[in-house]
Order: sequence, then C-alpha cells, then structure tokens
Amino acid sequence: MVSSVDELLPPKGNEKKRGRGKKVHLRIPNLVSSLERLAMEIPSETKNPNPSTVTTESSSKRKEKNTDFEFCKVCKLNHNQGRCHNFFPNHVKSLSSFLSRFHSKLSDVRFFLKNPGVLPPDLASRNRFWCVFCDSDVIEHGSSFTCEKGIRHLASADHLKNLKSFMWKYGGGKDRIDRFRFTEADLAKYEQKRISLKSESGTEQSHGPLIGPSNDIHNEQKFDYVDNFDRSRIISHNSSFQNSVLPLQDYTNEKYQVSHSDLSGHVATNTSSYDSQSLLSASDANHSNNLRGNVGGSGLTNGYHYNGLVYAEKRESNGESNLAGPQKLTQISSAFNEPNAGNVHSGAPPPWFNATNGIDLNAIKTKTSKSKLNPKRVGAAWAEKRKIEMEMEKKGVLPVNKFDASWLPNFGRVWQSGSRKDSRKEFEVEAKKPVKDEGQNVDSSMQLQPYISKRMKIDHVFLEFLPFFFLHVILSAGKPMDDLFYYSNKGV
Amino acid sequence: MSYLLTTLTKKEDVDSIIRDTIDKLLVLRFGRSSDSVCLLLDDILSKSEQDVSKFASIALVDVDSEEIQVYVKYFDITLIPSTVFFFNAQHMKMDSGSADHTKWVGAFHRKQDFIDVVEEIFRGAMKGKLIVNCPLPPERIPKFQLLYKGV
Repeated sequence: MVSSVDELLPPKGNEKKRGRGKKVHLRIPNLVSSLERLAMEIPSETKNPNPSTVTTESSSKRKEKNTDFEFCKVCKLNHNQGRCHNFFPNHVKSLSSFLSRFHSKLSDVRFFLKNPGVLPPDLASRNRFWCVFCDSDVIEHGSSFTCEKGIRHLASADHLKNLKSFMWKYGGGKDRIDRFRFTEADLAKYEQKRISLKSESGTEQSHGPLIGPSNDIHNEQKFDYVDNFDRSRIISHNSSFQNSVLPLQDYTNEKYQVSHSDLSGHVATNTSSYDSQSLLSASDANHSNNLRGNVGGSGLTNGYHYNGLVYAEKRESNGESNLAGPQKLTQISSAFNEPNAGNVHSGAPPPWFNATNGIDLNAIKTKTSKSKLNPKRVGAAWAEKRKIEMEMEKKGVLPVNKFDASWLPNFGRVWQSGSRKDSRKEFEVEAKKPVKDEGQNVDSSMQLQPYISKRMKIDHVFLEFLPFFFLHVILSAGKPMDDLFYYSNKGV
Repeated sequence: MSYLLTTLTKKEDVDSIIRDTIDKLLVLRFGRSSDSVCLLLDDILSKSEQDVSKFASIALVDVDSEEIQVYVKYFDITLIPSTVFFFNAQHMKMDSGSADHTKWVGAFHRKQDFIDVVEEIFRGAMKGKLIVNCPLPPERIPKFQLLYKGV
C-alpha cells in the first residue's frame, strides 16, 4: 500500500542531478504505473475492508498459539511451540526414554500376570507403582496376590483412555499403546491362574513367607529402592531365571538360604501339592541335617551339593512338564566331596584346570588390570616394552642384560636449550672434551693475556685463534686486513 | 637413616632401578648421609615411603661414589640434597618457581609437602605431561642460588 506521496516522486538520485544543474527528466512512465497501482489498490481495499487486519489476525492467532505456554510432561519443561514440540528431536528422545523407563517398571507386573504369586499383607505397601498415564498411584491394598491391583488397573478401560490421550498429546504412536496395557484376554488368563493358585495356597499356609517373591530381590517391590544399575542387572536376571529365583533370607547362613530357595523355587512352579509335601519333608530333614551336622565345612558342602542336585533335577523335570508326578530323589553320598577343594563361591579354579595351569590364571588376572592405565601417560610405550622384556627375563627366555656403562636416562638438563635427546648428546660431547683439553691445559693457561689496546701497540702480535675468535671478528670488522693484530703465545 | 631406604652406590644399580620402576614414580635423592639437610630430607622420605608406596618408590644415591660422578655431571648436581624424579625412565620436571626445574633442591618443610609434590608429579605423568607445577606455596619451597655451570 502506498503510504506516502514520496513514493510517487522520482528516486533521490535524480535530485542530486538536479542540484548539479542538469536537466531533470521526470520518470513519467513510473509515475503513471504508480498511479495505476494506487488506483488498483483502492478498490481492493474497499472490497476487503480489513485485508491486512485479517492476515494480521491470523498471524496473531498463530502468534498467539505460539505464545501459549504449555507443560510437556515428558521433557519436563514449559514451551510455547504448540503441537510442533512433539516432533523436536529432544522431545522424541526424552519420550522414548520416558516410555522405556515406565515399560521396565511394568515388566515385573507383567511377570506376575503370567505367574501369579501370593502377596503377604505386610509387604503390600511396597508393591505399588505410579501410573504415568493416569497420574495416579496404584497401591496394592488388601489384595492377596502380588500386583493384583496393578494388573487390574493396567487392564482397565480408564487406563486405556488415559493412555491413548497421552499418546496423542505427546506423539507416542499407536503401536506403543499395547505395550502399556493388558488386554481382556490377558486378564482372563490371569484370573484363571489366580483361582488355581488360591486353591493351592490353602494347603501351604505355613510356608507363606517363603512362597513367592516376597523376599525376592528380583521382585518389583524392592524395585524402587534399588538403583538403576541393579535394576538393569535384576531385569536380565529375572528374564533368564523365570522359575528359579533365589529368595534373599534374613539369615546370613548361605546354605540355609539355598535349601529354602530350593523349596520355594519348586513351589512357585509346581502346582501339585503332593510334590511340595514330599520335598518339604526331604528338605526339612536336610535342613536339620545342616544345622546339626555343622562339622566345619563338610556338613555344609554336603548339604549344598545335595541341594544343588535336587535343584538341577527339579529344573530338568520342570523343563519337560510342569505337572510332573511325585518324584523320589536319591541322596548322593558325600564320599567324594573334598571339603578343602573349595568351590565357585570360594573362588577356586574349576576342576578342569590343572594345578600347573594355575599360574596362567594369575597372569590373566594381572594382564586385565594393566590395561586400565592411561595409554597417554609418560613413557607408556617404553613401559609396555619393558614389561614384556621383564616377563621374558623372568621366564628365562631373554638373558638379563648387563647394562653398558654409557647408558644414560633421558634427562632434560638445566643449562641446555633444545630437546632432551640433545641433552644426552651434549653431555657425551662434553664428556669427551675434557679428555682432549687435558693435553692443552698448560697452553690454555698461557692464553689469558691482559688486554692491550691495539692503538697502543706498534708491533704485530699473534693471537691464539680459538678463545679470542670474537675479538678477532670485532677487530677485522672495522679495519683493513693489514692492521690485524695478533698476540703471540710465546710471551710478551 | 639411610638404612631405612634403598641406597645405591653403583651406576649399574641406578640404571637398573630407573629401568625397572614401571608405572611408578621414582624418587632419586642425591646426597650424603652425613649432611644435615640430607638427613632432614631422608627422615621425611623414610617416613612417607610407605604412604606413597603404591605410586612411588624412593631410593637414595650416594653422591660421593666414583661411579655416580657421571650422573652428578649429567644431572648438573651442584647442591645437595638434590632429588630427581623419573617415570618410566623418563625424567619429570617440576616448576617450583626456582631457576632449576629439573630437580628438587633441598629438603621439605613437612612430610605432607613431599607427598603433595610426589602426587602432583605422578598425576602429571599419568596424563602425559613431562613438566608439572609445584603445588606448594613459595614460602615452603627451599630457596637456593644457582650459579651458571657451577662457576
């Protein structure tokens, strides 16, 4: 839009020309075109009384949209980028980490969906999690099974609704929705398992605290209290040992623990009550055996071996079919158990390692620790070389070298300028010099003559070349060759 | 005091200790066991030897022996006690504000000063630095006059 009449005037260049007295050619064609433009714009203006204002409105709307601050739960920051924020790489990154974190928290809940376990009431307060989609705590209050309420929550319709809205808002993607909820079918399966477990649990009340993962470090109730490192370890552990978790007991006696782990591991998987009873009696006897027969390490190792074998057998049986019949297990005698041989727990080498190979183990151990040193440290290459040399010397491959008397370390000398390599050379040169100069010592002392001004001197005297070279130079610079004076060393 | 620390009198021994101390700082004290300042320094060295044993090893070199004279000249040792530092057979320098960076001249005021110096040099060496700055304040650094080429 033409805002002022100035635009109709010719450009300022012409004005200058005018000043110089040149004839001005008004740009008539330009004037006409600008008038036409004006003519055209006026009707357009009247048509749309507010064309610019409409555009400004929409732009302001857009601007308004942009200036609206909203909180992104994923990135945990306030932004005014509107819907665009979901596509920013930072948001995408934080969303994926956020979802993976919650997914890992749910992994234990998922475990219990497939393997229901009884939850003792005192540990119920620990068995809970915060659902980020519903912004609510899911507490197990008054549920007899672990994560029961959690499972129900994740299968509920409300949760699904919240999940969907969250995904829409933060750009999650529809494929991710199924990861964070349980379907009706899953819930139905869970219910069935729960009922069957309930019927079983009636017979095994006395072993309540041992059954299930209540004292299990792999369990999610301790999840929140374990730091991230442990969590990742535990998850991997959990996934590999689905049916054979070792519960952590209050007792420090490892062997006692193992015996009970065996029991609970068995119980958690086996559905037949008869089995549990038989094993109960067997392990009970064993347990008492442990406590009574505590003769040094032998009794314990005996118990451990027995348990280990029972354990192995149980796992094998479970691998084939979950509903194995009653098993009669034979106790292996402890005749060939060496109490002093040590085992994995005491850090002893496995039996396939000969005694002679024990040295190699040490070498392997030390080698791994060496590699931690900074490769950029001073003299690293030399150190590595030297280590290999020393190893070889130890073994006797390389004879111990008699160092030559002229070896000198790399030393940066005090009064030298240049690299350290030069210092050694310099030193060697200097070391040789005194040998030479000793012969000339007598002569050199005579060289120190008192200074006699050349102007005073009439005769030519001979100068010893080396020490007074600089004097020679100064003299020769200003004077012609004839007037060079030399001092003789034969005496004045 | 020197019976508490390894004392060396032969060039061979000095060479072997320089070459065999790997990934540890080597502290070589050049001096006389009868000199008073040397005794002070030796006392501090012997007391802190166990503390720094994991990253440093200490040895005393008798400056009066003939074989060592080569080293006395090579290292430009004019004042005793002088302590030279080596790491992986590389000489380590320390800028303590004095004229001579190649060695430490004199004793230390405190045992902790010595440990600080050794630690500073070790850290520099592990990072790949051949010269490090002295962590001690100037009042605790012994002052000396360095004459040009011992003249």
